[in-house]
Amino acid sequence: MRRGAIAPLIGIGVVAGGIAAAVALALPWLPTPASKEAARIHPLFWFVIVICIVVFAAVTAVMGYTIIRFRAAPDDDSDGPPIHGHTGLEIVWTLIPTLLVTAIGIVSAIVLARNDALGANVLRVNVTAQQFAWSFSYPEANGLTSGTLRLPKDRSVLLVFHAKDVIHSFWVPQFSQKQDTVPGIETRLHITPNRLGTFPVICTELCGLGHAVMRTQAIVMTPAAFDKWLHGQSSAVASPNSSVAGAAVFKNNACGACHTLKAAGTTGKVGPDLDKLAAEAQAAGQPLQDFVRQSIVDPNAYVAKGYAKNVMPATFGTALSKQELDALVQYLISSSKKG
Amino acid sequence: MTATTVDHEVSPRSGGARHYLLGAGWIRALWMSALFAAFGFGLVVLLRWWGDWQPIFKWTPIVLVSILVCAPLGFLAGLGTFDYWARYAIGSPTRVDDHSGHGATSWKDYFKVNTDHKVIGVQYLVTTIVFFILGGMLALLVRAELAKPGTQYFDPQTYNGLFSVHASLMIFLFVIPAFAGLANFAVPLMLGAADMAFPRLNALSFWLLPIAGIMMLSSFVVPGGAFACGWTGYAPLCSTHQPLGAVFFNQGVQWAGASSIMTALNFLVTIITMRAPGMTFWRMPLLVWANFTTSLLVVIATPFIAGSQFFSMFDHVMHTAFFDPGNGGYALGYQHIFWFYSHPAVYIMMLPGFGIVSEVIAVFSRKPIFGYRLMALSLMAIVVLGFSVWAHHMFVSGMAPWLRVPMMITTLLIAVPTGIKIFSWLATMWEGKLRFNTPMLFALGFLSMFVIGGLSGVMLGAVPIDIHVSDTYFIVAHIHYVLFGGSVFTIFAGMYYWFPKITGRMYNERLGKLHFWLTFVGFNLTFFPMHLVGMEGMPRRVADYAPKFASLNMFISLASFGLGMSTIVFLYNMITSWRNGPIAPSNPWRGMTLEWLVSSPPPTFNFDEIPQVVGSPYEYGVPGAQHAILAPARATEVEEVTVP
Repeated sequence: MRRGAIAPLIGIGVVAGGIAAAVALALPWLPTPASKEAARIHPLFWFVIVICIVVFAAVTAVMGYTIIRFRAAPDDDSDGPPIHGHTGLEIVWTLIPTLLVTAIGIVSAIVLARNDALGANVLRVNVTAQQFAWSFSYPEANGLTSGTLRLPKDRSVLLVFHAKDVIHSFWVPQFSQKQDTVPGIETRLHITPNRLGTFPVICTELCGLGHAVMRTQAIVMTPAAFDKWLHGQSSAVASPNSSVAGAAVFKNNACGACHTLKAAGTTGKVGPDLDKLAAEAQAAGQPLQDFVRQSIVDPNAYVAKGYAKNVMPATFGTALSKQELDALVQYLISSSKKG
Repeated sequence: MTATTVDHEVSPRSGGARHYLLGAGWIRALWMSALFAAFGFGLVVLLRWWGDWQPIFKWTPIVLVSILVCAPLGFLAGLGTFDYWARYAIGSPTRVDDHSGHGATSWKDYFKVNTDHKVIGVQYLVTTIVFFILGGMLALLVRAELAKPGTQYFDPQTYNGLFSVHASLMIFLFVIPAFAGLANFAVPLMLGAADMAFPRLNALSFWLLPIAGIMMLSSFVVPGGAFACGWTGYAPLCSTHQPLGAVFFNQGVQWAGASSIMTALNFLVTIITMRAPGMTFWRMPLLVWANFTTSLLVVIATPFIAGSQFFSMFDHVMHTAFFDPGNGGYALGYQHIFWFYSHPAVYIMMLPGFGIVSEVIAVFSRKPIFGYRLMALSLMAIVVLGFSVWAHHMFVSGMAPWLRVPMMITTLLIAVPTGIKIFSWLATMWEGKLRFNTPMLFALGFLSMFVIGGLSGVMLGAVPIDIHVSDTYFIVAHIHYVLFGGSVFTIFAGMYYWFPKITGRMYNERLGKLHFWLTFVGFNLTFFPMHLVGMEGMPRRVADYAPKFASLNMFISLASFGLGMSTIVFLYNMITSWRNGPIAPSNPWRGMTLEWLVSSPPPTFNFDEIPQVVGSPYEYGVPGAQHAILAPARATEVEEVTVP
């Protein structure tokens, strides 16, 4: 080491590290956690960030000093000193990074193990993913199905995923937990929500044309409110042919992700506007009821002008029960007439 | 080329018109492509008629066999890539030392099948720059759409096609082959060889590339739309739920992959068997080491992506069920096979850049590479470890949970040899006599950007953090810091560094520096904010996003247009300097490696006399030290290199 180099090296390093630390601290990097798992990931994140900032500052210091100090004069054609290496130094910069990444590995493995460990009294939710909708069903409430994920605060939740068509991925940024849903296999994810609120559920694996709109909400409720909801819901789907049941089917299958329907308050633009069903049926030359039913069961039979084939999943015909389908058709017809 | 050379491409008896139609070249390529396409069409229709498969005219298999397989073969045959082998196979007279297709005297020679590694190097570089510009334009269209939330300009199929084709072109038609082009030019020269080991195979490798590129681009005009499942082409989305365009991707990857494998074999044989006398492995320049290790990766790993794309295509076209769970397939199988190639591919796209940076930093610091042997060994360590980290792309995929911790450990450990390289470059610069010519600026730009990309890679290696940021813009930021800040910066460094040797002219230094600063600033403004939007919750591969990310995305889009503009400076500099730049001396950078001992551009067969290697390639500052001396050629060696 050259005499006189240490002070400027430390100076540059402190400045570079200070700038990096300021960027790390001033910007809102991670969303405010809403689960115990996220709360464990945050300290790990900062642990790794601190190591990264130290390494970045050290490299910047050496590089900055080198660039300033060892610039050749324009008329200086001489070579530098023929230093071929230094075994001690090479051992040091092999060992220190090895120790640092080992430390990161150990801490990460501990966090991972603790995040995967289920608590007592686990709430199981079966999650079904399909193009381009989520549905959540609660075995505790005899398979009550919902298009939004409602969870009680401070209870261990095990999400069990199935995919009907292609790979999707479940992510709630505030929970910091993510899991792909894979057709043909069952995947699982553990979450312990610990903050009340409404958070976005985002599909993060490209799953087709409606990928960007494959979203819903995760609502964390107090345990009492959750229980009330869980046991108050069962009645709605049970009453066939009522518009309440149709609205529930519409919501649970996330039709609104792609379609606009004023009655349901949705504004999706991937598929045709469902407030204009009557006009479309006329264009297709079919009675309204048949047209609506066919468009759900076999969406490629007639595609509205300006929209592409094979965008709407053809799986609803088998996914919906006859009762649900009837309720949905009635709901769509009555809602579109109002609109 | 001498007067005694017999041009075997043309029969001596053939007349003008006959030669025009039947001689190897673009005319023959045209009609042979059409002929082969018609044959493929007939074959499919005949087989379907014979087997009574309705409908007989089914377009997916017809397009696959006729346009994507047969027509390119016809094009290659027509252009003349197989002529010599065909003559040999049917027993026609051939000459081993036929140099009729070697070297270039006019610009037209660059559009022919040429066996000169220097011409092929230029063919590679020009072709890859064309695809770089096309791929870049696709990226700017993506950024235009993303400037505001909601969808503005493109329907979802087109938008998904834009980013999918952008990535495929940049990876398979720019970064990987641009490195192959630079190495094609530099490696035989650095070894003291007259050419590559298999010059005709080398020519074939190049001509596969435009086929692959045009195939991927043309998926935009296929009915149903471009392939739109991301460059990763995950099954079952890509294998069973996509229009015909997906098959254009499957097949495009096959042609590019075949090119890559052939080139890598060529490099391996060349480096192992054609080193000049005295060039031991421990005297090879690090660029040669880098391409040796890269070629090992390519030869071992690339067949896996070929397999994954074949299986995916079979599922699509022939209704097999490799990845279709409805019929007993295993969807995650695709990802395992794909990443078993595509993680090593990250190093295929990085190790040659490490080689370029080692050359540039040693020359412009006027100092020997610090810890040369550890530099070479760390390349080998990356090759070995590179095969044991693939599942870190799959931490949230639903694969066997026990795989996560072992893959995390190997992933974190691979940072160690990479760190060794960075520290060694810094130590090489320490106490040197630094000159900041454009190649050096790009090398330093690489160094600083790659440190950031490497550190975000360590963050991604930690499984719990990866679970949060997987498939978000944080990943987009990371891969661009590694592949743009890393690979692309080193490609620019290499292009400026060897520009005088390749063209015989100097580039404009002021424009080079302007290009660097515009790229460096534009790059950071574009990609750094992506870390933030990803962490906060914006997924990748979406045209529409939450309004809270609107202002940052507008900022990123504006910065990306500036970054795109910087390429104009590069192109202007390259074109005008090639035409009118000052004549380059043979050794403008005072380098010690062998390519600087010959004229700029080098003679057709590189060395008029066989170089004798006597020492390390980086003995800067050692009084009287030499890497090689040009000894008078001995009679026996003249035959070996077949100097005419």
